[in-house]
Amino acid sequence: MRGSRSSILWGLTLVSIIAVCALLAPWISPDPNRIDLGSVLSPPSTTHWLGTDGLGRDVASRLVHGARISLLIGLTTGILSVLIGLPIGALAGYAGGAIDAALSRLIEATLCFPGLVITIALLSVGPSWLLALPETARIALALSLIGWTHAARYLRGEFRRLRSSESITSARAAGAGHLRIVWRHLLPQSLGPILVTLAFGVGGAALAEATLSFVGVGISPPTASWGELLFQALHHVGHAWWLALFPGAALFLLLLGCNELSEGLRMKLDPRRRAA
Amino acid sequence: MKRRAGYALLAAAAALALGACSGSRPHKDNDVRVAIYANPSSLSLIGNTDQNSTQIASMISDGLVAYDAQGHYVPMVARSFELSQDGKTLTFHLRDGVLWHDGVGVTSRDVAYTVAKVKDPATQARSWVSLFANVDEVETPDDLTVVVHFAKAYGDALEPWRVPLVPEHVASKDPNFLGGAFAHHPIGCGPFRFVSYDAGQRVVLEAFDRYWGGRPAMDRMIVKIVSAERTGYESLLLGELDLLGVTPDLWRDALTAREASRLARFVYYRLGAWKIDWNQNEATPFFHDKRVRRALVLALDRKRFAETVSAGLARPGVSSYPPESPWADPSIVALPYDPAECARLLDEAGWRATSQGSLREKDGRPLRFTLILPAGAQEIADRVAAWIQQSLAEVGVGMKIEKLGWEAFQQRRKTHAFEAAMSTVLFDPTADRFDLYHSTAKDGGFNYGSFSDAEVDRLLEEGRATVDPAARRVVYYQLQHRLDDLQPLAFLFQFAQPVLHDPDLEGIVPSAVGLFQFTPGPRAWHWSSARRRN
Amino acid sequence: MLPAIASRIATAMVTLLIVTFVVFALLCALPGGPQGGDDAARPLPPEYRAALRAQYHLDEPWPARYGRWVKDLVRGELGTSFSAQQPVARMLKERFPVSLGLNALALLTMLGVAVPLGILGASEPDGPWDRAGWIATTALYAVPVFWTALLLQWLFAIRLGWLPLSGISTDGARHPSVAFTFADAVWHLVLPAACLASGGLAYVSRFVRTNIVESTAGEGGKAARARGLSMLQYAARHGVVQAVVPLLTLAGFLIPRLVGGSLLIEAIFNVPGLGSLLFDSILSRDLPVVLALTLLSGLATLLGTTLSDVLILWLDPRVRHAR
Repeated sequence: MRGSRSSILWGLTLVSIIAVCALLAPWISPDPNRIDLGSVLSPPSTTHWLGTDGLGRDVASRLVHGARISLLIGLTTGILSVLIGLPIGALAGYAGGAIDAALSRLIEATLCFPGLVITIALLSVGPSWLLALPETARIALALSLIGWTHAARYLRGEFRRLRSSESITSARAAGAGHLRIVWRHLLPQSLGPILVTLAFGVGGAALAEATLSFVGVGISPPTASWGELLFQALHHVGHAWWLALFPGAALFLLLLGCNELSEGLRMKLDPRRRAA
Repeated sequence: MKRRAGYALLAAAAALALGACSGSRPHKDNDVRVAIYANPSSLSLIGNTDQNSTQIASMISDGLVAYDAQGHYVPMVARSFELSQDGKTLTFHLRDGVLWHDGVGVTSRDVAYTVAKVKDPATQARSWVSLFANVDEVETPDDLTVVVHFAKAYGDALEPWRVPLVPEHVASKDPNFLGGAFAHHPIGCGPFRFVSYDAGQRVVLEAFDRYWGGRPAMDRMIVKIVSAERTGYESLLLGELDLLGVTPDLWRDALTAREASRLARFVYYRLGAWKIDWNQNEATPFFHDKRVRRALVLALDRKRFAETVSAGLARPGVSSYPPESPWADPSIVALPYDPAECARLLDEAGWRATSQGSLREKDGRPLRFTLILPAGAQEIADRVAAWIQQSLAEVGVGMKIEKLGWEAFQQRRKTHAFEAAMSTVLFDPTADRFDLYHSTAKDGGFNYGSFSDAEVDRLLEEGRATVDPAARRVVYYQLQHRLDDLQPLAFLFQFAQPVLHDPDLEGIVPSAVGLFQFTPGPRAWHWSSARRRN
Repeated sequence: MLPAIASRIATAMVTLLIVTFVVFALLCALPGGPQGGDDAARPLPPEYRAALRAQYHLDEPWPARYGRWVKDLVRGELGTSFSAQQPVARMLKERFPVSLGLNALALLTMLGVAVPLGILGASEPDGPWDRAGWIATTALYAVPVFWTALLLQWLFAIRLGWLPLSGISTDGARHPSVAFTFADAVWHLVLPAACLASGGLAYVSRFVRTNIVESTAGEGGKAARARGLSMLQYAARHGVVQAVVPLLTLAGFLIPRLVGGSLLIEAIFNVPGLGSLLFDSILSRDLPVVLALTLLSGLATLLGTTLSDVLILWLDPRVRHAR
């Protein structure tokens, strides 16, 4: 079986490459919004390595700058989801009993909302305070409002497992109070599950951002994001294949990386694997 | 060894399958298939109608008059009409022998009933009710005569009478006009009879044998509901559609696609444009000065954009009277691309750049504003906005773009909580532009920018009250000159309407109001004799 | 047992009330409304607007309007749609079979493709098929659904002509029989269902593969291999059951998505399901429809999670033995 180690390594490599490109974007590529009506929809060439789009803008620049937006949204959504999901999931998993029951009902109630539709509706017509936020924050907030349930459920499962793990039970037997247990045992051990959730969430949010662009509630022009690039590409699919191929490949690599990373971490943490 | 052979076989099979014939299967019957992009909101002909509903309604039922291809009024159910000298009485003489689809004759009582229904708030006749605000009374002295009395003389007196007529003997039986039997199975007096509606899929109409203007040449008209432009285009390639209006990008695809080579194509222009509302109320300091409004349009190289980005399928907008409008003053032309003049005007208006490459400023306030546009509009909207942003940056004007959902966009416009707003607008061939420019149209009308000019108000009122066409023309030409000088709205582009269709489908005549809502319109479409023989 | 069920039902009802209340409040807080008519070519006269507001009771405070809705609901009345002027119950009845069919077909596709893929992958872990399968399914997951749709449409509808492009019924059919309509609809749903399923193949196939590998890594697997059975044969005999049964817990994920999950697919393929209805209703502030669909979505979620919880309890050996 493929080791968790190689998964993590692969995942980390892919994500890092993309992240580094994104960070260095302003230095390694020209202005992504530079319109050049003279070279509208030109295929890859020596001047434009990945071709140009419907306004003559360089696709490679837009791809690299778009990575920033997509990663930013992904990361913010992931962090927000964890921020909301962690306390709820952890508490439910660790405390058990009535608290667990109540929090599980809360998670369930949130799941009852038809998620994607509500998100799109919120971003489309939304309450004015939501629309007043900067766009990446707005999208991340809307996505995390439905995404946190995944984080919460997974973390709840992990904390239930942790609760009955050896280190915790022995600590309890030794008479340690809850606070001490949380501080010394739970938090360090919960880092793993949190990273798993984050890794998976980042990829998922980047993908969701593409869907939002399709529906029309994504980032405003002229900012490039991978979702926006893919949406634009849809309209030129018959005569400009390069508009779809490169952002699509980039998104694929990001998701592959995130999934590998998250799977690898999950395998590493799973005690059944450790025993095997 | 076995494995490699297996792979080879698989690859060969795949290649064979892909190289095989495409899925194109044009149908061979005498039906015509067209597409609309959303469910019609209602089939009740006049109630709660959106654009798709009015298009379908125009095929099911005729009005007293209709547009011809140039936008002039021609008699339909009414065989003649006279407007009194003072413009307050309009008399229609109905044709004898016009039948409803159930065989009953059309009488003046149906006209009176239709008007009553339109004015009834329960009908929610959004597209028509404001037109009848001026109608005081409808008299029906005999079966074939209708006398309408207006509260005051109104220049576009004939416009309301395009409304599709509703049969009194059928519709009055059901108290629930919008949701009852009539709305599910409308009866009209038009060239096409309603057959069925599969929600979300299609509306099926069939030719009415006893139509007063002669039976349409086709057997049925199937209006397919298509979700996206691309899907419509693919349906057209497959032969599932016979006619489709496409976007310039799909047109570009069709130029090279093998499956599209058999299609016939043409391009025409409708009475529509892309405009920017400049907010001219107290909240925003930028657009009060007409020089600024003019300068901003001068900064845009619209011809170049049309040639490169739209592949020539666009032209610079001129005014709210596009060239196809019967009331357009031909002496008024689009503003040119003149960045030097733009700079001069902005300097003159007090907006000056302190240093090279910085934003222009006046009284310490930089010339930077936000343009809002609605999501779900065509994809080209994003590109237009981005291009405007860069063009304005080159003359020292900063513009931010904000894309909003349609409702939020409308809300901002109606409450005047915006700086500049870009959207499309469709005009009809009438002369009146009251709702767009009059100072009272700020609340409740379409004067989102709170534009106000006494001379424009006067001309609009005079145009409305004048009945004689020649006199009206003088007034409206004066109005257009005044508007050209003031530039209250920026008319950016008119985008062409490219149409692809089956080459054997003949008789398609484009008009200023599109392909459907004029006479003869779709009832003149027919399959060529060559195809029918096959 | 019975009091447990009763309390579950009671909590469910309270949850649904809270959820619909929140949705109602949310919608009322958003700008716009059924009196909009904003893409009409002409402005609406003010007295007209006022009449519309009165018709929809829009001037009442919204908690009162919510109370009115609940009262109607208790009587079994779902109300009338603002936009379509039709009874909401009828609209739901028309669209529910379509959504059900779409999701059922998607589930079948997912099982039919992902399970064999998982088994194949497990037969030679980290082998070429396993790796290829993983890359392919992740690619399907990574591509936004509107692109998968485009690809599948181009390949199967245009290039090969095997499947219809969109919709759920064929044009030009005159007076079709019920059987034909049903078969026609299923035929049209194949492509949308495949698109819907494409995103989940990665997870399910990996799930199956991992479970099989786990179960065959133990003593039984080693013994079987010693006897000369191929991994595939062993897996087919023993692993499948252990791998597939936990898939039942997927019900907890899939049933809730019945209402909103296929929104994009429905839009792209022009399938008149519940998802697109919900979306359109939210945008047009068609409150009765939105509330009815939220209720349905809530019911589906509660059903799904309960089912999933029960199944997990039933399957988890630790919990079974603890009981």
